[in-house]
Amino acid sequence: MTDDPPFNPALLPAGFVDRLPPEAEAEAAGVETLMRVFAAHGYDRVTPPLLEFEETLLSGSGSAVAEQTFRLMDPDTRRMMALRPDMTPQIARIAATRLPDVPRPLRLAYAGPCILMASNRGEGDRQISQAGIELIGPDRPEADAEIVAIAAECLATLQVRGVSFDLTMPSLTTALLDTGGFDGQVRGTLMRALDRKDAAAVARHGGELAPVLIRLLHAAGPARGALAELAAVDLPPAVRALSERLAATVAAIEARVPGIRLTVDPVEFRGWQYHTGVCVSVYAAGQREELGRGGRYLSNDDEPACGLTLRPDIILRAAPALPSRVRVFLPWGTPAETGAALRAGGYATVGALAPDGDARAEAVMLSCPLMVVDGQAVPVDGA
Amino acid sequence: MTVLSPAQNPVPETDSPLVLALPKGRILKAAAPLLHTAGIVPGPDFNDEKSRLLRFETNDPGVDVVRVRSFDVATFVAFGGAQIGICGADVLMEFDYPEIYAPLDLGIGGCRISIAQPRDRSGQEDNPNRLSQVRVATKYPSITRRHFAARGINASIVHLHGAMELAPVLDLSHLIVDLVDTGSTLRANGLEETHTIAHITSRLIVNRTALKTQPERITALINRFRTALAPAQTRDQQS
Repeated sequence: MTDDPPFNPALLPAGFVDRLPPEAEAEAAGVETLMRVFAAHGYDRVTPPLLEFEETLLSGSGSAVAEQTFRLMDPDTRRMMALRPDMTPQIARIAATRLPDVPRPLRLAYAGPCILMASNRGEGDRQISQAGIELIGPDRPEADAEIVAIAAECLATLQVRGVSFDLTMPSLTTALLDTGGFDGQVRGTLMRALDRKDAAAVARHGGELAPVLIRLLHAAGPARGALAELAAVDLPPAVRALSERLAATVAAIEARVPGIRLTVDPVEFRGWQYHTGVCVSVYAAGQREELGRGGRYLSNDDEPACGLTLRPDIILRAAPALPSRVRVFLPWGTPAETGAALRAGGYATVGALAPDGDARAEAVMLSCPLMVVDGQAVPVDGA
Repeated sequence: MTVLSPAQNPVPETDSPLVLALPKGRILKAAAPLLHTAGIVPGPDFNDEKSRLLRFETNDPGVDVVRVRSFDVATFVAFGGAQIGICGADVLMEFDYPEIYAPLDLGIGGCRISIAQPRDRSGQEDNPNRLSQVRVATKYPSITRRHFAARGINASIVHLHGAMELAPVLDLSHLIVDLVDTGSTLRANGLEETHTIAHITSRLIVNRTALKTQPERITALINRFRTALAPAQTRDQQS
């Protein structure tokens, strides 16, 4: 083509953004707050690398994220490396390979960026940030509850309002379909209908299970009502065990965090596909995306584990903006100790770099509402 | 079906009204009695074709309606601009947004997505099953591609927004894939239906996150439609 527009140096690949002030700092501060809450609950931080060999990153619990993963070849070893789309498989690997002798329950925390091939919608962010915890060891409702309680505390600390946790049990749907003898293409069609809550299609393809499935489909909502509905339907023993575990987890969470807002969706099975038990998605009123997601899975070596990964980039949109530091302009020749005292008092100081020039004009230009006059910080325009 | 009263709801839900997206045209006409039975009466401007407004209050302070193109209803609901909508299953099939739940078949706007070709060409050697590639004019590129790919045929798409029937006649394409109601437009333009891809009715659709974060309000609204639907279905079964 001869009429290609000139390449704009600001253009980034789709799905990647520059984060500018003040969002960049707000995100870093948000991650710091999350990590502080995690650490206060005894979760030790680990930092896995961005790139791993495909074989390790995408084996075990990682195989479910393989199709979301960018790969590149290591020019040195000619082996394929994968850029992590999710940190949980890395933590599972660390727990199994580097920390197998550390007594369980093992509590680990992590934060960092991840890269996805494409977001779920085919557009949107391809670089996301994650901050999360994994609790490796006990397979108990109380462990599930600890994860949710800590996430709730994190969001309360960041003053996110209207937080709710949606609990699901993906294995319940698959177990129910197993007992119904669904397989092959019919199963695929039915799973898809359930995923889209398409009651008409469930009725068409669900056979004898259709009445139960439709009833469970409509039961999604506040935890109490959904569990009552789940308790009332006739379920085979294997499926009943799963629904009782879900109820036990809800009870454990409510016991630990009174007043928490829980919803239950009995036939939801969406998410990272590696989860094997109770799963949780975090929402906030008025937010269009999930703030985080987690659940129970089998770590490498089939060790039970559960975890929850928050998305600081999304939480940032839901959390009120934190007050930023007030900027004070230091005219040329301001004593160093004056600046140090202001910084110690929580101000950000912006120093003049040259003796000449109008200090007041420069303060305004550099967005400083205050400047130092005679050793005191005074308003730039009011003085 | 359990609907909890607001008193059991520990967090006050957002006060802003729910937005119901309605498609202009054919489906809206069919949906009007249903909306009426469900007790949703849009403001007087809504039925005024000349009105430039796009968003309307209703008799229910908790529900506003917006009037958009039928293809855009799914997009508005998928991205959360509207929490709930009425949308043809053809549009849902085409966009296949994972963010949309389709909990209720409204049974209105019935028609089908079909393949059609010029009448004089039927039974000839260009039976599409013998081809490895076929040119199709359609406003449903995804549905068309999927349908032919499942049969081992690459569909090269001529993406049109209307007057599909002209495409084979003017040699833009071999076939068309289009919404067919009575088939009279096809016949008038010398085409005939050769295969039905899917039967279509309109669905009540819901944004996934909205259902998760405001289950009480959304479920209550879905139930109003379900109840409005119930007598009609009983009537159909009796007749």
